[in-house]
Amino acid sequence: MRVEGEKRFEAPRAKVWAVLNSPEAMANTMPGVEGFEVQDDTHWTANVKIPLGLGGLKMKINFEKLEEREPEYAELSAKGQGVGAVMNMQTSFELVEADGGTNMKWAADVSIAGPVGSMGQRVLQPIINQQVGNVLRSLEQQIEAAP
Amino acid sequence: MTETHTVSPEQALVVEETGAPVRGFAGQNVPRKEDKRLVQGQGVFVDDIKRHGMGYAHYVRSPYGHANITAIDLSKAEALPGVYGTLTGEEVASLTDPFFQLSTPPGAHIKDYALAVGKVRHVGEPVAIVVAETRELARDAADLVEVSYEPLAAVVDARHALDEGVPLLHDEAGSNMSWSSEFEWGDVDGAFAEADHVVKISELHFERFNSTPLECDAALVEFNQGTGQWTIHTNNQFPGFAAIMMGPAMHTGLDKLRFVTQDIGGGFGNKITSHPQLVACCLLARKLNRPINWTEWRTDFHLTMSHGNERWFHDTEVAVKADGELLGFRTKALDDAGAYLRYEPLGGIIWAQVTPGCYRWKNVKLDFTQVVTNKAPCSPNRGYSRMQHLWFTERVIDIVASELDLDPVEVRKRNYIKAEEMPYTTPNGCIYDSGDYGRMLDVGLELIGHAGLEARRADAKARGKLLGLGIGSTLDSGTNNFGQSRMINPELQFSGNNEVATVKLDIFGEVVVTLGTTPQGQGHETTASMVVADIIGVTPDDVHVRAGHDSYWNSHAGFSGTYASQFAVTGLGAVKGAADKLAGEIKKLGSVILGCAIDDLELAEGHVRMKANPEAALPLMACGAIINANNAGLPEDLDVTLNARFVFRPNFEVPDVEKKYGNLTLTYAAQIHLAVVEIDPETGVYEVVDYAAVDDCGNRIHPQIVEGQVMGATAHALGAATHEAFTYDEDGNLLTPNFYDYHVPHAMDMPPLKTGYIESPSPFTALGTKGMGEGGGAGIHAVCSALQDALKENGKPIIYDSFNPYHRVWELLSDPEASRSRVTVESRGAAQ
Repeated sequence: MRVEGEKRFEAPRAKVWAVLNSPEAMANTMPGVEGFEVQDDTHWTANVKIPLGLGGLKMKINFEKLEEREPEYAELSAKGQGVGAVMNMQTSFELVEADGGTNMKWAADVSIAGPVGSMGQRVLQPIINQQVGNVLRSLEQQIEAAP
Repeated sequence: MTETHTVSPEQALVVEETGAPVRGFAGQNVPRKEDKRLVQGQGVFVDDIKRHGMGYAHYVRSPYGHANITAIDLSKAEALPGVYGTLTGEEVASLTDPFFQLSTPPGAHIKDYALAVGKVRHVGEPVAIVVAETRELARDAADLVEVSYEPLAAVVDARHALDEGVPLLHDEAGSNMSWSSEFEWGDVDGAFAEADHVVKISELHFERFNSTPLECDAALVEFNQGTGQWTIHTNNQFPGFAAIMMGPAMHTGLDKLRFVTQDIGGGFGNKITSHPQLVACCLLARKLNRPINWTEWRTDFHLTMSHGNERWFHDTEVAVKADGELLGFRTKALDDAGAYLRYEPLGGIIWAQVTPGCYRWKNVKLDFTQVVTNKAPCSPNRGYSRMQHLWFTERVIDIVASELDLDPVEVRKRNYIKAEEMPYTTPNGCIYDSGDYGRMLDVGLELIGHAGLEARRADAKARGKLLGLGIGSTLDSGTNNFGQSRMINPELQFSGNNEVATVKLDIFGEVVVTLGTTPQGQGHETTASMVVADIIGVTPDDVHVRAGHDSYWNSHAGFSGTYASQFAVTGLGAVKGAADKLAGEIKKLGSVILGCAIDDLELAEGHVRMKANPEAALPLMACGAIINANNAGLPEDLDVTLNARFVFRPNFEVPDVEKKYGNLTLTYAAQIHLAVVEIDPETGVYEVVDYAAVDDCGNRIHPQIVEGQVMGATAHALGAATHEAFTYDEDGNLLTPNFYDYHVPHAMDMPPLKTGYIESPSPFTALGTKGMGEGGGAGIHAVCSALQDALKENGKPIIYDSFNPYHRVWELLSDPEASRSRVTVESRGAAQ
């Protein structure tokens, strides 16, 4: 499943880049994050409880930064393991400075396997879109709050 | 519904002038022996069998459709108190050989073990097993097993399985193609040269589904460490095949694998290929030195077991004369076997049992290709491979009729094989034994009220509904000649068929029968007792048929089991053979005791007696006592044991492998179904408002059992036509893995069933009977045909798929042209 979009931030690119690259800040943007652990600057793990329509889905997600071209581009992979669901995501974002702010172009390839995966695209797509919306909104708050 | 009635001895023995009972019990609805215990919950199904200290096995399964296994960590699971042990793919690969492959290369190179080794190839594939004290503990422990995977791209569309750059499922096979062959009979080019019209159909699709037995697969396996003997309590329905697969893999003689079944909750072919699970249970029983129970969860059954063959038909061309005579067809069949070949590629030849369907066209060309995909492995499913082909022939008939403005009834009547042409030899050498398809269609048309169809259509139109009548004619080829497997792989050493039965007279004269079959509801105990009763001169109540199968009874052979529509021929053939032998021995003993010639004697009312003087009689109890407990003074050369074992063998030749020609099945039952549907044009929702099923399976032993088979098969067909499909997304996730999404018809979904029958006795079988369990596909053909008829007013859309859920009907309504783009007609000569 491919999900993509654009987001405008009323903040300079360097500031947006700083937030996007701090594991702690990113953790707070995650829906239902319960715990967070940084192994090194390219690996970190989050324990989350993704609120789904039919109750929360507990998942342990291992993040790995695959590529990085400061301050314009980064690519991440995320492997999530939960009861009844296995998630694999590859996501990337591009930051472009534009009239005083920053435009972010992002994309993600998400595949969910296991019983949850069997609900199929028709059911999962809106859930993923909703979660992405939450992440982007809290990202915006993080950026505004950042020094 | 037919009313049941009990049979008194006098009524049964209707004696004609010749002194032999006319047909005795055959043809009567005697009460079924099996029903009392089943209705009272006293049946013994595998999960009912308990053993002290038994372990419950639960599978750890792949969440991915295609992935490498990088690591398996069992430590947390094994640490849980109450867990007895585990099994992984590595252990299986070290203890067993891959299962024997029927195919020629590339399929021959596929390695298939009881558990995944190094790689998973479909969602739900077994990766490891945890055994624990209770079923629930085993399931919880299985969740603690950590398997790391490296996901791979999945192949889920057979049409692209052979494209460049598509991932390979089995590296050792080198291709996703498992088997292929080209078939051609008659003068195909001549037929197309002579045709007035050539109807071309680019693509047809037969959907993937199966038969949802009420009881899932199961086994309770015990291992005797001292003798090395496994006792496998199972509901596998083809023990002969399971043994042939398991023995070589486990490096053990087949006699060490004792198969025991009693009550089975439906099979329909879906319980033929459980040999991988049975091997796993055998290894665990030996490793953990305790009995092992495996009872499959419904979701696991949907995910991994016995999907029916999904099949595409491409570039079909049909040669038709101006007057509607069909000369022949050519097509390319593409079969999707799923991830492993468990019974495949036998499906690559089984369709050829009914190459022309019910029709007289003589010129056929079919290129058959089978591929593997990241989906559950296929296994025979009710109508196996014939249903797919017969659906294709019926679709061709209806599309040709629609495009050439011919009446589908007339096209069928004109091209059906005629009763006077029977036995009829098909283009590839099969012999249809008997039948009268035209008359069956008339009976059906009468039942459905065909005369009033147009009035009924107008009435429906007035109510804003589109009404359509559809016909589905199907053949149920029964009693396989396994020599056809040599057309899959010339080196295979299988041919013919057989089944075994024993009938004996016990010390107190009780008649005891054992069968080699594994009945799943077909009432074998009842029909066997009827045949024995008629021959031995007793009533069915006097005959005790042991329930189920047990290889220790020594009443089995290589092809023993219950599959492929054959009990009424092979099973009852064996029973009749054994009963005749026993009858002969009783008369031989009687002639010695009563001092008369054997021909002067008859068996009747539980006695052997002189025809001329019925008073001079010997009760069966006396015969049993003499031979078993009072045999002094008998003539030395009196060869009488009163314990008869008979192996029935149908009379087959090995087919000509080069020409792909020969008789592949012994009998051809026929079923013609008619359906009337009403479609709501606003939503595409449709309902079957009237339904008739006409059956011809030769002499009917127990009409009520035949009716039950017809109704059950119709339910399977109506489910497959409208509700049931195993649908996968592009990653290989099964989207319909349980009853929430895989809708099996309920009683409320069933339309009122009208049934009719004719009896065309088979000239090739002792009792004139034919196997008839697998003819139900007709319902799919009939619903497709009815939908196309109902939609003809709305742009004549073409029904191109066997599965037509309401949203597809809505699509056909809103864009008829899209479906019509699949069909073109080339008219030549005078008709131009």
